[in-house]
Amino acid sequence: MEVAANYIDQILIFSIFALSLNLLLGYAGQVSVAHASFGAIGGYGAGYLSITHGWNLFLGAIVGAVVAGIIGAIVALPALRLSVEYLILLTLGVSSVLLGLFTTFPQLGGTYGLIGIPPASLFGYDLLKTSDWLIPLAVILVVIYGICHRLGETAYGRVLKGIRDDPEATQSLGKNVVWFKVAIFGITCAMAGLAGALLAGFNSLATPSQFSFDVSLSIFAMVIFGGTGNLAGSILGAATVILTKPLLEWAVSLAPEIASLWRLTLYGLLLVVLMRLRPQGLVPEGARLLQPATWRAGSTTEQPSEALPQHLAEEAQDWKTSAGSSGAIVAAREADWIDQPVVLEVNGLSKAFGSIVAAEDLSMVLRKGTITALVGPNGAGKTTVFNLLTGFIKPDSGSVKLNGVELIGTTPNRVANAGMVRSWQDVRVIPRLSSVQNVMLGVQEQDGERLAGLFGNPGAVRQREREVHDEAMEWLRFVGMDAFARESAGALSFGQSKLVALARVLATNADVLLLDEPASGIDRQWVDAMLGLIEKVREQGRTVCIVEHNLMVVDRLADHTYFMELGRITDQGTFTELTSSPRLAKAYFGTA
Amino acid sequence: MPDRLSVSSLSCSYGRKNVVFEVDLHVRPGEVVALFGHNGAGKTTVIKNILGAYTPSSGTVTYDGEDITGASPRSNVQRGMALIPSERFVFGDLTVHDNLLLGAAGSTDGEYLDRKLAEVHDLFPILKERAKQLAGTMSGGQQRMVSLGLAMMSSPRLLLLDEPSLGLAPAIVEQIFGAVHDLAADGLSVLLLEQNVGQALKIADRSYVMRSGRVILEETTEQMLARESYWDLF
Amino acid sequence: MLAVTFETVRQLVASGIVNGSAYGLLGVAFALILGVTGRFHYAFGVLYTLSAYFAFTLFDRVGWPILISIVIGVLITVVMGVGIEAFIYRPLAARAGNNSLLAIFVASLGLGVAGGNLIQIFWGAQTHSLLGVTIKPIGILGANVINVDVYAVLAAVLLVGTLTALLRFTGLGRSIKATRSNPDMALLVGVDPARIYLVVFAIASLFAGIAAVFAALKYSVDPTMGFRPVVLAFVVAFLGGTSNSPVRVYLCGVVIGLIETISSIWLSVRWNQLVVFVILVIYLASFSFNRSLFARIRQVVARPA
Repeated sequence: MEVAANYIDQILIFSIFALSLNLLLGYAGQVSVAHASFGAIGGYGAGYLSITHGWNLFLGAIVGAVVAGIIGAIVALPALRLSVEYLILLTLGVSSVLLGLFTTFPQLGGTYGLIGIPPASLFGYDLLKTSDWLIPLAVILVVIYGICHRLGETAYGRVLKGIRDDPEATQSLGKNVVWFKVAIFGITCAMAGLAGALLAGFNSLATPSQFSFDVSLSIFAMVIFGGTGNLAGSILGAATVILTKPLLEWAVSLAPEIASLWRLTLYGLLLVVLMRLRPQGLVPEGARLLQPATWRAGSTTEQPSEALPQHLAEEAQDWKTSAGSSGAIVAAREADWIDQPVVLEVNGLSKAFGSIVAAEDLSMVLRKGTITALVGPNGAGKTTVFNLLTGFIKPDSGSVKLNGVELIGTTPNRVANAGMVRSWQDVRVIPRLSSVQNVMLGVQEQDGERLAGLFGNPGAVRQREREVHDEAMEWLRFVGMDAFARESAGALSFGQSKLVALARVLATNADVLLLDEPASGIDRQWVDAMLGLIEKVREQGRTVCIVEHNLMVVDRLADHTYFMELGRITDQGTFTELTSSPRLAKAYFGTA
Repeated sequence: MPDRLSVSSLSCSYGRKNVVFEVDLHVRPGEVVALFGHNGAGKTTVIKNILGAYTPSSGTVTYDGEDITGASPRSNVQRGMALIPSERFVFGDLTVHDNLLLGAAGSTDGEYLDRKLAEVHDLFPILKERAKQLAGTMSGGQQRMVSLGLAMMSSPRLLLLDEPSLGLAPAIVEQIFGAVHDLAADGLSVLLLEQNVGQALKIADRSYVMRSGRVILEETTEQMLARESYWDLF
Repeated sequence: MLAVTFETVRQLVASGIVNGSAYGLLGVAFALILGVTGRFHYAFGVLYTLSAYFAFTLFDRVGWPILISIVIGVLITVVMGVGIEAFIYRPLAARAGNNSLLAIFVASLGLGVAGGNLIQIFWGAQTHSLLGVTIKPIGILGANVINVDVYAVLAAVLLVGTLTALLRFTGLGRSIKATRSNPDMALLVGVDPARIYLVVFAIASLFAGIAAVFAALKYSVDPTMGFRPVVLAFVVAFLGGTSNSPVRVYLCGVVIGLIETISSIWLSVRWNQLVVFVILVIYLASFSFNRSLFARIRQVVARPA
């Protein structure tokens, strides 16, 4: 009985480790091979307070968790911009430094560690036997699972997954990526600290080997086994890794030392096989443990049909018969354009990278309810203008005023919050989120994206989440993709994902939309559908700016056109005016 | 004489993009053929399919009468093709000399290499002066020359050239196009992807125009030159 | 503590160079793999350890002459390294596509953990001694080292020098550098990346094997002997730069070795083990803050449109 309880206790403790690492790795996409060493902070902290100051272990565990969380948040700062291989190395370094520190202080027992931590007590009962630990550990695990689930599977988790798959795109939708990353590092490291304290209390000791790099790796393995991005899987993963040893002892009657070697060997080999055969783990992201039928089927979601959404196809037909813009309509549009109020005013924007001038003294205005196009030969710096306007590149000088508010010097997410949102040439939908979740990511002002709201006011969060969902569905309906709402965005065709990306930009409710090549890479009928939608957006009174190389698109959409050459705006007017200038034709086509 | 290159009803979806639909085109020996089109029209995808860097979803590619659909880039380079992309077309942290030698398709014949190097140095003397310089530290125009020299080292018979004028000053564009013209006069077939219609028409025999993944037009240079403007083609 | 004699410094410099040379050699090998193939080859450490065990087994158990045991032991390691690339990493990379770095790291982790424990199962957890080369003290410029140290440093210099020459003067070396510099373009000029990857894994495994044998001759053969040198090799590879000349990476290893030993003048032994990692964390932090700048410049320069 006590033997079984011992293993169950270990599973419960390591489930906490695995859940928290999964939140970091599987949801936020941040690789860490230092998780056990954050456990060491909690373990040593609680153990030290307990031995020297007679603190209750659980009180010490809370202190240890807080300290681990703070250190985790500090580690997150250099980790913010590192790619995977550097993140592996950084966390490996952090792990070595932390463990090195613990073995260095004689007060912490040096290489031997802290031995003889007094038994923990809870409500006056000492936890002496392993079976005494079962209920407290189970309760803590349930609480941690609840927190992880709340962070991972609600609006907050949606942002985390966005950051995991495409931090820039997520930032462009107004999410403060830096804050999310620091927070999730801190939270998960605090959970590891708590788990470490429990492990130390359970074993009555805190030693370097208990929290060694190998332990970090086995926690990593638990998460990979169970499936990244799936919390229930992590508990399964923890159970698998821990139970291999007794199973080997019992089934093949191996001696305990040999069994533990074989256990590690087996789980090592299993990792290799798993990566080859089932990289998504036992329980893939989004699957539920209690519905085996779906997860056995794996991620073989049906390929959605390539067909254009029905009502868009009809409208595309309409446009073909009603023909494009005639001269008279264009003239009227230009006359209209000049009357509209200025929404965005760009003055003297310049940027040089060394000797390469990316933008020089750019000045332009976007007017309410109109479509402005930027055209120019390849390499003129049109996309750079979008990067400058949205804060992804800091200009050397100049000003960008949105409704009179200066945007230079703010971060891309603040530009989006202020009401100017860009789309991307290569679409950048979040592949592992469904279409509707992608669009929900665009909605601003969500209580569920704030920690205080998430845990302080669940009712309001639930209510807001329903509203956000409805809003997102409406935008999907607007672009004709509502039938694909539950389809994961990665399974959509390129044209379909472009429509979802448009819905996502629209869902931000931004006044100004910067659309980077909305019509590139898609077939003619999709182009027609896309243009029809952009025209509808103009009718709604929103301000649109497009960069587009397909000049037919510019001809049809633009109320006003700026011509760019080598980082400068050299002319403006209607598209027809510009194309009648021989000088611009020479700049564009190199003709004499 | 059979076509050097013939592409028939080539379609390709690369990644999730459906970028090329039912493309037909051909290039005769010694001919310079221009392929115009706006960014994202699918021009680059067509030549990557020809070289074998992407596999077409349908259609065939024929080279000197041989069906090479789905053949590897390596085997096509050995057949005599060379492709120069529009970006990142040199090995930046290798010397100019190493860049050129890499173009020789693995040849170790010293005499052949010396002869080819001499030819390239004749074409672009600056590459001899700067032989020891890292290619990445050269100007854009000089890097273009490196890439063209690199391609010539394998004695290609078909050159697939992606926007050689991109980001270059007009004088340098003239020089590059002049070199391509000379090479074509010696029998090299060239498929030239361009936005710079003016320069391309100076050396092209024929032109195709692509828009949104389809070839919408095939014209002789005379016909193209007779057009009032090109705005409606892009 | 501060009254350090000249003798001490000389001795510390000598052992710093000896240790650092090993880190440098391993760093060069790891950097070559990471730079050219983009694989985070964590199982590198277990290959290192295996090489020492093979040499030990052939010499001590089978009874072959020491030199032949070493050569065969290292060769088996090379075959294993190439096999890992051909039969494990390559199919994984083909399946995982753009996200292959993490998948390969996990598989490599699995190999490392499994390999390390299999070693204990087959050979036991105890340390063995690889004898066969008589250890003799040698004085160089007044510092006391042993003959194996001298051989090890000479071998490392020779290997790094040969690799540098290979990269600089041969067609194969050019193809390797081309794959590292611009893999897409390398494919276009007909370089076969799959073949280049195998060559790179062979070279790196050879370096690891030889470094391990010298460590085994000097100290001993034990299951965990690979961990610290190989982790330091990771550090050296990143600090030295994965696309830089092997000479530079090697010298970076020597500097790390010197920092490690010389810091013991001021710090206790336990602390100086930490110094390297503290440097690493500081380096990565500053790198991270500079990186945003570089990334943006590259993004704009590479895609002027």
